[in-house]
Amino acid sequence: MALIRVEHVDKSFPTRHGSISIMQDITFDVKDSDFLAIVGPSGCGKSTLLRLIQGLDRPTAGQILFRDQPVNSVSKQMAMVFQSFALFPWLTVSQNVAFGLEALGWSADRIHPQVERYIEVTGLDGFQEAYPRELSGGMRQRVGLARALAVEPAVLLMDEPFSALDPLTAESLRDEVLQLWQDPSLPPEAVLLVSHNIEEAIELADRVIVLSRRPGRVLAEVTVDLPRPRDRKSTAFYEFTDRVYSLITEGRPSLAGTELPANGDARAG
Amino acid sequence: MTETRAISAPSSAGNPSDSSPTAPGGSPPVPPTALRSNFLPSARRSLLIYVSVPTVAFVLLATTSTSPLSSLLSYFPVAAVDVSYSFLRMLAAYALSLAFSLAYGYYAATHHGGERVMIPVLDILQSVPILGFFPFAIAVLAAATPGSFLGPNFASVFLIFTSMAWNMVFGVYESLKTLPGDLKEAADTFGLRGWLLFRRVLYPATVNRLVYNSVLSWTAGWFFLVEAEIFTTNTSYALQGIGSYLSFAASAANGPKFLAGIIVLIIVIALLDFAVWRPLGRWAERFRYDVAPAGESEIVATEREATGRFHRARVYVTERVRTGVTRISTPFVQLAAITVRPGRPLSGRRRSTIYYVALGSILVVVWLLLIALGIAVIDVFRAPIEPAVRNQINMVPLAIGASTLRVVASFAICLAISLPLAIHISRSSRASRAGLPIIEVIASFPATALFPVIIFQLIPYLSAEGAAILMLMTGMMWYLFFNILSGVRSLPPDLTEAARAYNVRGWKFFRRVLLPGIFPALITGSITAFGGGWNTLIVAEYLNVGAGKQLSLLGLGQLIDIGYALGTPGEALMAAALFALVGTVIAINELIWKPLYRRAATQYRYD
Repeated sequence: MALIRVEHVDKSFPTRHGSISIMQDITFDVKDSDFLAIVGPSGCGKSTLLRLIQGLDRPTAGQILFRDQPVNSVSKQMAMVFQSFALFPWLTVSQNVAFGLEALGWSADRIHPQVERYIEVTGLDGFQEAYPRELSGGMRQRVGLARALAVEPAVLLMDEPFSALDPLTAESLRDEVLQLWQDPSLPPEAVLLVSHNIEEAIELADRVIVLSRRPGRVLAEVTVDLPRPRDRKSTAFYEFTDRVYSLITEGRPSLAGTELPANGDARAG
Repeated sequence: MTETRAISAPSSAGNPSDSSPTAPGGSPPVPPTALRSNFLPSARRSLLIYVSVPTVAFVLLATTSTSPLSSLLSYFPVAAVDVSYSFLRMLAAYALSLAFSLAYGYYAATHHGGERVMIPVLDILQSVPILGFFPFAIAVLAAATPGSFLGPNFASVFLIFTSMAWNMVFGVYESLKTLPGDLKEAADTFGLRGWLLFRRVLYPATVNRLVYNSVLSWTAGWFFLVEAEIFTTNTSYALQGIGSYLSFAASAANGPKFLAGIIVLIIVIALLDFAVWRPLGRWAERFRYDVAPAGESEIVATEREATGRFHRARVYVTERVRTGVTRISTPFVQLAAITVRPGRPLSGRRRSTIYYVALGSILVVVWLLLIALGIAVIDVFRAPIEPAVRNQINMVPLAIGASTLRVVASFAICLAISLPLAIHISRSSRASRAGLPIIEVIASFPATALFPVIIFQLIPYLSAEGAAILMLMTGMMWYLFFNILSGVRSLPPDLTEAARAYNVRGWKFFRRVLLPGIFPALITGSITAFGGGWNTLIVAEYLNVGAGKQLSLLGLGQLIDIGYALGTPGEALMAAALFALVGTVIAINELIWKPLYRRAATQYRYD
């Protein structure tokens, strides 16, 4: 059963010179225990798509279903990790992690062990009382991750979570996210990652949705069947990245249309 | 592929950490007359100045005065009592301003409909020379509470409130408006709303600006408080306080008594600075939402500070003040939280409690002003105008010209001093280290406290006109100076570097780079300085303390004061002069400052 269904979603924004179309006819599924990545050039509406899925915004046309129910308001079954971390500078690490739990109305004595658990899971132990400004970028994103995981979401939404980090920090954090996802004792069931970094998407995801330039359309859905841990230097890995690169560079909006690419990679239903 | 990007809040309206008092007549995002924010002078330096100024004055007095200095000590208890009265008025006005600014600023920032009306209204309110209404307010409120001390006190608290509130309202409003989108979104994704949204997100977002703007508000408040008290000195509604104390001391040429008053006032201001504003400012740093790029600098700074001798005392005080502030503000916060509706986390148009609170408070303000005017107008029609008053009313057109010229002359002198001074200080770190703390301490002291001395001792040297212009300058100088200073400081370094690379220097640099670069700040400073100038007119043009000692120069301030002094028959004069004053201010704002400000906002911005 599909966890999330995105069905024929269009999104356009009104501007002074008429409305501008961000994405057109986006359709795909997120399955249980899926690690799905969405890649595409800047401005193809990747981040907007993520916001539509969580219910922060509504599609202009089409619909989004979570467990067969339309997403009409901000879903509590999903939690977002932001590119800019979006931590509250006036809250300590603990308070930031507790942020979502407080919103759920948890009592203080339930919040505390939960916060401690996810602080430990994300390797933040010892930094409970620190403020975000005292942390490095990598540590800040761990707080963002812990805050999202603490509410034990079914789906973890990640919006360019590693883009603001230096390459080495990003690498180690990627590994940890992968481990968290593979650990059956921990949430989430599925991860939905938005990235403009193709290598990153192929390293992490089971499937990669490739979007075209604006207005974004689904160019292809690539199933990455490489065994984990994946070696970025292997030929197979290189073939995957190469294929996605050429899909994006060749996939001009006029060519993309509704048709799927000729090499007809995996079309999972 | 991975890029390293420092995380800085995408703030649209400049650096949110800057404290910005707002421009009368301008629109909200007015960069900073940062008295304290980015360049907090070191505590030791400030302390040195606080101590040395009175000491120097003491020594001067000791060498020149004939009256026995031992009497200086005997005046301290009296001065302390009078300062306490003044302080209580300040406290009342501040509590009022805090409640008002949270309610008004919060509502304006979160409700589109309200915003469109509330911000222009605020704009008008803060560009009107409120002090001109003071004689009315005191007459009306005193008449409403005959024989009671309440009337004049209400009037003075109201006056101080008007000097404190607008700046704080804009602080709340702007910090909510410039809250980074991702923080709002993060709150949305977790479904935060109601009380929790307010406590965790909206209220903390306002704290930093609120604290810094409070410092500015207190500085303005002292200025107005002393002016109000001086104003009432020789009237039937004398307010007991440090202003009237100083006024009496100066008119009696009692040097030791005057000095004792000044010293006590300095002690109170220094105490507030060290015991309240500095710890509070440090605590408020936590609420800045422009998270610094990751780095050790801050941690190192914190550690260095922790080893400081005063650290523990400071932490203690900070915590005390913090819990105090939390306790005081909680009712307002709760009130505001009631109205944040589930399901619409950050917006909504519902007419709610907060709406009525905000609307109610603004109505009270407008109502007071209208009543004051209304009574005067009724009086005008009820009683025939006496010929003497009629003659004075005929002077109004001339007075408009005289007052305008006076304000413009003071402005020109202030500009001639503060432009080179601010540029020099901001471009030389040595001048900045040495000069800025002195200037900041001086600026935090209400110059109105020295008005009696200017009037009674300096007129022989300066002429009455010179004394008036000097007083006007004290009311205008700092707005101009600190705005220019922050303008020069926020000039992007790459622009000055580019100028250096192309060897543009000297006059050319000033014309092509510096002046356009600081133009918006210069305009903001000018608007606020003019606002200060108009307000100072009320005391600078006319003061009569009896014993043949008086200052009287043709001008709108003078006519308002004379009208007030004449009692009921003078109300027509008061009304006519006041209308002329408000009209002049609004005309100058609309015809000169608004167009310049628009130009500054469009042509001379660099983001």
